[in-house]
Amino acid sequence: MNTQPLVTLVPWTMVAQFLNLMIQLYLIKRFLFKPINEILEKRRQAADKEIQDARQAKEEADDLKNQYESGIAKAREEAARIVQSAQKEAQGRADELVQEAQAKAAGIKAQAEADIAQERKKAINEVKNEIGGLAMDIAGKVVEKEIDEADHKRLIDEFIKNVGEAS
Amino acid sequence: MEFDISGAKIFARIPTGIPILGDILITETIVVSWIVMLIITGLCIFLTRNLKVEKISKRQAIAEMIVEAATNLVRNNTGGTKFDSLIPFVSTIFATSIVSNLISLIPIFRSPTADLSTEAAWAIVVFAMITANKIKAGGVLGYLKGFTEPIPVMTPFNMLSELATPVSMACRHFGNILSGIVINGLIYAALAIASGALLGLIPGAVGDFLSNIPILSVGLPAVLSVYFDWFTGAMQAFIFTMLTIMYIANAAEG
Repeated sequence: MNTQPLVTLVPWTMVAQFLNLMIQLYLIKRFLFKPINEILEKRRQAADKEIQDARQAKEEADDLKNQYESGIAKAREEAARIVQSAQKEAQGRADELVQEAQAKAAGIKAQAEADIAQERKKAINEVKNEIGGLAMDIAGKVVEKEIDEADHKRLIDEFIKNVGEAS
Repeated sequence: MEFDISGAKIFARIPTGIPILGDILITETIVVSWIVMLIITGLCIFLTRNLKVEKISKRQAIAEMIVEAATNLVRNNTGGTKFDSLIPFVSTIFATSIVSNLISLIPIFRSPTADLSTEAAWAIVVFAMITANKIKAGGVLGYLKGFTEPIPVMTPFNMLSELATPVSMACRHFGNILSGIVINGLIYAALAIASGALLGLIPGAVGDFLSNIPILSVGLPAVLSVYFDWFTGAMQAFIFTMLTIMYIANAAEG
């Protein structure tokens, strides 16, 4: 079999090798770089998406946290307000009750005093009448002389009055 | 004992009748080139089967590693993403070169890179890209004016150095591979002679028979092939690739 010289340039071989290189370039692009770069790009996008999702989730969580915190703070404030108002109301109510009770007690006391005064007056009047009658009887018995009853009464009243003033 | 190293075998000759270009020769170089292309393409297809975004296979990891290594090599040596379009070309040069160099480890194949025509074709492509980048960077006038710098007297020398770029690239690669073939051939021949002489010391027909078996060829050539085939093959592929990147990057800088 023929062989070509050890060191030689064969134009058609060069053309063939040039074409081979170009075909190889296309094949490597088509079968190695294109699919691998596509997959790398996909992975990069997926990673970006993951990061974005995570960031968004974090933001949402932060928002929720803020909402809950503000809600809790509001609720606490509300509770404090309610407690305060309840205390105030209770205090007011207690004061009212005390006042009412005091007023009632004062009323009862006044009533009692009035009753007592009336009873006393009544008793005094009764005693006065009895004493008047008694005195008249005694005087009738003692004087044995019928005197004008009206005069008597006047005298007796005078007497009782004097007695009352003296007592 | 005769020892000769010849060029690639010619399997067929297709006459074209075109002057200068001459006949088309279907040589070992071209046939083995096709085998190299089949190997590389088959490997690419094998490595990129069933690509997934998550839970990738070992094959896919290797494929991604190769792509990223090529990308990083180009980006690190050109300082940016400006030459990303070069990545597939540079990878093709490297892959073709290294597979062509190492295919001679299978004894029935002769490296396509042991034929100067192969490297010449590659170097001309690189030279065309260098020139295209220079013209793109400075315009046609700027490119032509570049030859007269720093002084017009230098013009012939500048043209010479410009032409020397592809010639040196092609010859460097070819020379290294050829030297590996020559040295390997010499070693095998020398060892065959040595074992013939050694075993010829045995008297009678036994010695005559045994002296035909190059028993000393076992072992030593394998050790030497680590340097002359493996190391040189990988090294020259890498050097050719690096020079391609460097020259084109320098050309684009103007």
